[in-house]
Amino acid sequence: MEDQALVMKNVCKDFKVLNRHEGLKGSIQDLFSRDYKTISAVKDVSLEVARGEIIGYLGPNGAGKSTTIKMMTGVLEPTSGEILVNGKVPYKNRTENCENIGVVFGQRSQLWWSLPLIESFKLLRDLYMVPQQQYEDMIELYRSLVDIEPIINKPVRQMSLGQRTLSDILAAFIHNPAIVFLDEPTIGLDVSMKDKIRALIKGLNKEKNTTVILTTHDMGDVDALCRRIVIIDKGTKIYDNDIEHLKGYFGSYRTLHMKLADDTWEQMLIDEKTTDVMQVITEKQKVTKIKDIRLEEISTEEVIKKIYEGEAV
Amino acid sequence: MEKKKRGFSFYADIYRKILVQDLKTKMSYRADFIISTIGMIMVNLSGFITFLILFRNFPTINGWDYYHMLFLYGFSLVALTPVQCFFDNNWNLRFMVTSGDFIKYCFRPVNVFFYFMSEVFDVKGLGQLAFGIGTLIYAWAHIGIPVTALTIGKLIVFLLTASLFMIALMNAAAATCFWIRNSGYVMVIMFRFKDFAKYPSSIFSGIFKFLFTFIIPIAFIAYYPSLVILDPDNVPLLSWLSPFIGILFFWLSYKFWMLGVRKYDFTGS
Amino acid sequence: MNPRKLLALTRAGIMESLHYRLGTFVTLFANLIYLVLVYYLWKAIYASSGVDVVNGMTFTDTMIYLILATSLFNFLEMFVVWDMSRSIQSGKIILDLLKPLKFRTYTFWSYSGSHVVSFIMTFIPTFIIVMIITKGAIPMGLNLVYFLISTLFALIVNFNIEMIVATICLYTESTWGINIVKETIVLLLSGASIPLAFFPEKLRAVVDFMPFRAVYDIPLTILLEKNGADTLQGLLPMFGFQLIWIVILTAAGSLFWNCSVKKITVNGG
Repeated sequence: MEDQALVMKNVCKDFKVLNRHEGLKGSIQDLFSRDYKTISAVKDVSLEVARGEIIGYLGPNGAGKSTTIKMMTGVLEPTSGEILVNGKVPYKNRTENCENIGVVFGQRSQLWWSLPLIESFKLLRDLYMVPQQQYEDMIELYRSLVDIEPIINKPVRQMSLGQRTLSDILAAFIHNPAIVFLDEPTIGLDVSMKDKIRALIKGLNKEKNTTVILTTHDMGDVDALCRRIVIIDKGTKIYDNDIEHLKGYFGSYRTLHMKLADDTWEQMLIDEKTTDVMQVITEKQKVTKIKDIRLEEISTEEVIKKIYEGEAV
Repeated sequence: MEKKKRGFSFYADIYRKILVQDLKTKMSYRADFIISTIGMIMVNLSGFITFLILFRNFPTINGWDYYHMLFLYGFSLVALTPVQCFFDNNWNLRFMVTSGDFIKYCFRPVNVFFYFMSEVFDVKGLGQLAFGIGTLIYAWAHIGIPVTALTIGKLIVFLLTASLFMIALMNAAAATCFWIRNSGYVMVIMFRFKDFAKYPSSIFSGIFKFLFTFIIPIAFIAYYPSLVILDPDNVPLLSWLSPFIGILFFWLSYKFWMLGVRKYDFTGS
Repeated sequence: MNPRKLLALTRAGIMESLHYRLGTFVTLFANLIYLVLVYYLWKAIYASSGVDVVNGMTFTDTMIYLILATSLFNFLEMFVVWDMSRSIQSGKIILDLLKPLKFRTYTFWSYSGSHVVSFIMTFIPTFIIVMIITKGAIPMGLNLVYFLISTLFALIVNFNIEMIVATICLYTESTWGINIVKETIVLLLSGASIPLAFFPEKLRAVVDFMPFRAVYDIPLTILLEKNGADTLQGLLPMFGFQLIWIVILTAAGSLFWNCSVKKITVNGG
């Protein structure tokens, strides 16, 4: 058990919500209604994550990702089932659990809004009671991984979204937690910032052997960081294995890129078992001129899309 | 991993550090500071004008003359300072809760209530404090209460007591937003209830006397604690008990607030 | 502008207000308690004065006036200033400006739904309670119709004051300060906290010319048939006063708004 950073056993979470009625009349009815229904946000999810692992926790919107993360961080109590984070039940020992985790919600800064970043770091050092030497080493490590000079003395409110996300990630690692939860860390960022952030996460994970649980909709994050992915949909875990393994299932799929007469690229996903690639090209050539052709393996993005759309694994 | 102890001195130290940083940044927003201070002066001035107009038409209220009423008024202003200065973030609670931003306070290894309140220190409260102390001294001099170490000591203890009730009231009012989505009005009206703290609570009778003493403790925000100073020969038992009741109320409101945090399902996102 | 589109905004507002059902009940309940406070205070004040009529107001008159002023206040309460400052800070203001309606019109009509709800949920119940308790002290006749008309005017005057203050938010981030200054001035000078009849004459002379009187004092005076509001000669100047201020404030408000919006669009928001 000791080498497991996180263990979930048959975890379920239900919410009770009021059945709302439509229209103006419905609104008035609802004032007195006691008509509740139960919604299962998470159904019987079991999961084990080893120390130092980075896993991609994926799923379409509303699949139950954030609910799971909230249970792992000890903010929500599971309706049934068992969760152990660093060997402890997070909900029962919220403060203790917080000692060993770091959390980043993309777009939602947890830093002191008007303070310069360095002051936020110092406050966090005190909040987590980090020894001075360890704190300085960490800042040194940050310097080696990313250029923090432009932001270190800047108040968070004056930062760009990218700088803010960067700061939040750094802040989440400052007390050297065993697990860090990253919820869509690259959302809304430009390409170069995304790269920077991915490199930073990778570097911190490598240096500190930190377990990272990453939820994202950006398959670029997954390709850059995760070997293993877990997919949940409608509250149920539908996949838990390596990405390579997943791609194997769709091994017969190819992405066909064609450069047309007007210099635009057209993209097509083709299953080689059912469709002949050459035939597709010939058909296309009857309609327009094809200047260039590229054939690629299926991308992670497309694999995930197929799964969300209900393709069985 | 060894368990880290976080005691009173830890919290005091953290609060001081956050406060210093916060004040530093506040200094850099001077326009905001000036406008807010003007606002605070206006509030107190208007309260005072209302008071003067009232006394122009009615020379006594329930046997209380102008200076005694003024004392009560000043007393309530000073007692309101702590809630204004240290617990002002309560006003932001409902926005944080509806937007889902509140969740960020739950990820630190410290008390959520403390962490949330530590984020805002409201300097404007100090203006009110000055106004209140001025009124109190003026009334004190006119009534002719002897100035001894004992009375000053009593004054401080009972001012603190009174402020506990106000803090409890606002905590409880703010915490309703964990259950009731549209509860902003509860806070607004509770805050307006405090305007009645500056009148002698002997005006209430029957069930409402009970209500405004033990359920919505307006009577404790100025009336009962100030009687210790104003009428030292006839102090009611409730006045003497008020420090303990105050601590109890504060504790209950804190528990209620924390219960809200646990109950809240953090769905807003 | 298409009136059906505007009414759709009203409807959406009503549904949104009702959506938070517990909040609705709590608001109603909190109001009732507030009324009890007002009742006890003024009962004590009149009892101490020893006379029945002060400045032409009996205890019952004062009660009706203050209670209805409070519920009018709740009915008229808008959070335009807060909404505005939040949408400026989040940048949502740009989206609002892009809506096919004029911004001021849009704001007015989106608030209308919550006005309808609070009129039905707080004003009418309060009115009925006051009617029963005072046993017919409120005249029941055409004055009710006049009262409704002048309340509608009051709503527009109040909206304009709110909008003008909200526009100031485009220039400064100090929302709290601006809002509190507005609220204090409106509450004091409109007669919502103390009936204008109690004001000293010199102050009264100034207040009489200010727009704030049009918000609370005029509708309530008309309802209570004071100051000759029971005759057409008395009534017309009051309506005239409200209408003049509506014209002045609407013109000034939209001018100020349009100039200010140009400023933010030039600065790129």
